[in-house]
Amino acid sequence: MKPFDIVIVGGGGAGLYAAMEAMKTNPALNIAVLSKVYPNRSHTSAAQGGANAALGNKAKDDTVEMHIFDTIKGSDYLADQDAVDVLCSEAPKIIRELENMGTPWSRLEDNTIAQRPFGGAGRPRCCYCSDKTGHTILQTLYEQCLRKGVIFFNEYFALNLSVSGSCSNGLIAMNMKTGKVEAFPAKTVILATGGYAKMYWNRSSNAAGNTGDGQAIAYRAGIPMKDMEFVQFHPTGLRKSGLLVTEGARGEGGYLLNKDGERFMARYAPEKMELGPRDLVSRSLETEILQGRGFDSPAGKYLHLDLTHLGADLIKSRLPQIREMSMNFEGVDPIEEPIPVRPTAHYSMGGIDTDNQTRTIMDGVYAAGECGCVSVHGANRLGGNSLLDILVFGRIAGRTAAEEAGKFRPGTISEAELNEQLQEVRGGMQASGRYERYGELREELGQTLALNVGIFRESSLLQKGIEDIAELKERFKKVRIFDTSDVFNTNLMQVLELKNMLDLAETVAAGAFAREESRGSHTRIDFPVRDDAKWHKHTLTTLVNGKVTLGEKPVTMGRYELQERTY
Amino acid sequence: MTLPTDQHTEGKKNVTFRVFRFNPQVDSKPYFDDYTIPVERGITVLRSLNYIKEHIDGSVSFRAFCQAGICGSCSMRVNGLSQLACTTQVWDVLAKSREPGIIKVEPLRNLPLIKDLIVDMDPLVGKMVHYSNWIDSTMPEAQMGKKEFLISEEEFLRYDKATDCILCASCVSECSILRANKEYVSPAVLLKSYRMSVDSRDSMHEQRMAELVKDHGVWDCTHCYRCQESCVKSIPIMDAIHGLREDAIESRGKNDTSGSKHAEAFMTDIEKKGKLIEATLPIRTNGVVWTLQNLLPMAMKMIMKRRTPLPPPLVKSVKGIKIFRTMFREMTEHVKQDQKSHKK
Repeated sequence: MKPFDIVIVGGGGAGLYAAMEAMKTNPALNIAVLSKVYPNRSHTSAAQGGANAALGNKAKDDTVEMHIFDTIKGSDYLADQDAVDVLCSEAPKIIRELENMGTPWSRLEDNTIAQRPFGGAGRPRCCYCSDKTGHTILQTLYEQCLRKGVIFFNEYFALNLSVSGSCSNGLIAMNMKTGKVEAFPAKTVILATGGYAKMYWNRSSNAAGNTGDGQAIAYRAGIPMKDMEFVQFHPTGLRKSGLLVTEGARGEGGYLLNKDGERFMARYAPEKMELGPRDLVSRSLETEILQGRGFDSPAGKYLHLDLTHLGADLIKSRLPQIREMSMNFEGVDPIEEPIPVRPTAHYSMGGIDTDNQTRTIMDGVYAAGECGCVSVHGANRLGGNSLLDILVFGRIAGRTAAEEAGKFRPGTISEAELNEQLQEVRGGMQASGRYERYGELREELGQTLALNVGIFRESSLLQKGIEDIAELKERFKKVRIFDTSDVFNTNLMQVLELKNMLDLAETVAAGAFAREESRGSHTRIDFPVRDDAKWHKHTLTTLVNGKVTLGEKPVTMGRYELQERTY
Repeated sequence: MTLPTDQHTEGKKNVTFRVFRFNPQVDSKPYFDDYTIPVERGITVLRSLNYIKEHIDGSVSFRAFCQAGICGSCSMRVNGLSQLACTTQVWDVLAKSREPGIIKVEPLRNLPLIKDLIVDMDPLVGKMVHYSNWIDSTMPEAQMGKKEFLISEEEFLRYDKATDCILCASCVSECSILRANKEYVSPAVLLKSYRMSVDSRDSMHEQRMAELVKDHGVWDCTHCYRCQESCVKSIPIMDAIHGLREDAIESRGKNDTSGSKHAEAFMTDIEKKGKLIEATLPIRTNGVVWTLQNLLPMAMKMIMKRRTPLPPPLVKSVKGIKIFRTMFREMTEHVKQDQKSHKK
């Protein structure tokens, strides 16, 4: 294949914005987007609530500076302040840009883009399109990429970076339709494959494919991961499936109730109540459950998200998807009765370590969106900042790669290397004596993570988690692939995804074990307070000689001094 | 284990999933495999298929991603009807199943088959490109990001429902025109075209419409409503198709294409007689020459074989035609007013 200037892995918000921006920056470049699903299926579509931007449409006195402060405070001061500056300053522009391209935002009475309150935000600054914001943004970006003639390789599964020394030669990927392992020699590669929170499996709100493929690829190539231990639990997952009920439901006025009918958030965040930041609200739910104030059911303990007082009209017009989901997956109509909820693993703050221009330590390799970690979310992401992150840093990645592509040469990827990859991925197809089923391993991984590396963490639990993961990795060597065909082998794909999750799970557990403090989403029962003297720094996890190796990186400070974080 | 033990008090049912199988590498033609598993209330078709794949037969192939009804990956035909496997409850399907205890699972129709339940979506993407299913903004790229377009709630509501489309292609699979003509634009693409055409930010209305009125385009729909009935997001797709047609006549005139002429002939007949004058309809739609060459031989054959009666020499008006005409005019006036207010 002819070498590319830029190969973008992932067709969600970050990947598509990167593609558009790269084409805009230099129309002469040869750019390709690879995605394991059709881009319009990407998980960006599941983001319901909205994207934050200090447009000042709803609250005239809102400012970028307030957005910056809310984000830094929300991050429990682990975000890099210069990166947050970029995120929030670019926000109004990028939301308007999307609007100008055709995103159907909901509107206020003065015909400007509508905004609503969201957790941890001092002003109503979350721009939305009813409760399908991510879906409509993704549609807009996909439409615009089709308009611009972006070259898509749909249903290609990225396997590895091909690396020579400290340089990338490009990407190796499997064409799902043919089972062929193909080379994508490229000057630059942008990894934008989304998050890794699906490793919590049934206790995760994520799509089945959010398996951290991009992070795992980078990790295996020796690129450090940053702050992997910070996994956000969303307070309101549906009890049975872990699927998400957007924070918008609380933004519109929903109550969280325990089995005594009490609005228990009064105990934990008397001012913000249900609209406290996610980590705090999740811990509050978990505490209520642990202290016996949850409801009991065979599917586990849960609490109530009550929308009944909002009325049928508001629920139908502003939260139609929520209503549909809770009817489809819980058999509950929120107009009539409260929705059964419990916290669910939702977002990975950690990711591939990048600078503010999305560069990784490897020449020509960039990462953006949930796949990367700049970091703008620090120890805890605010609702409405993830869509913003993928847009802002997706665009920056596209621009940076386009500007820097000329500096690098596309390496060559040999037939031998492709063959080696092919043999490796198909290794599990040989019948052997004892074998393991990937479904069971995957489920066990989710269980041990939720139990031992979950909302409340503790040294002995984490130790157990680390041992479990090591054991699962050992058992994975015997995993059997039952589908031996070349054509659209989803069995093989799921096994490869499991491998990625296992590799990354190790970094999450290692980071969590090392960090002896509580900060943001990371709560250690044995170290219940934030310890700025020892731990106000990023965790790096790098693969060295087949082992997770811990490192650190200072947090970039700015105008805001460390403060206690209360709501 | 994927199947939860929740609500076990309600018991389990043994359900046989009759799954369409085809692997182009080894199979000369498709066949069905039966998998019988116990299923509780509350379990979806997708969770059942996941269970079969993980525990019984790893080679059963289907797409699935979000598992929450928003990504559109897992659309397939369940007991003959195209829908999302992830939002379809097994017990609900069973209650309506013709064969007790059996659920038949097949790939979508009207798209090329790849393997088992997986079809090729590329043709649909190709049509989205062909019909410019995007906004070509009136704002120059260099100006973007500086200020918002001001858009009324009323305009937003015009395309709000249409933007619910997740491109699952259930409507594509159910479309009766596509079964006969794979080149037909497709309901989803018409829906998206409509969504773009009523957006005041768009600058390529004329160009898109010029493509839509050609063969295989907006006039080929026969109003069977199957797209709308099968839409997993309950989008009124036919309203969008009607909207595009009204738009086509308004912007390009009544005599633009055989499609617009056909629609116009309908209107004239209904106003005059209260019913259709079918014998002359093809002439008014496609002209005398076309009718003589293409339709007359078949009509003659049908009459000879008594499949259709001879056309009556004179078509009488329906009873109460005068009252009907008043109603008809009021209605058309109302529609015109409505269109005007939309334009604002």
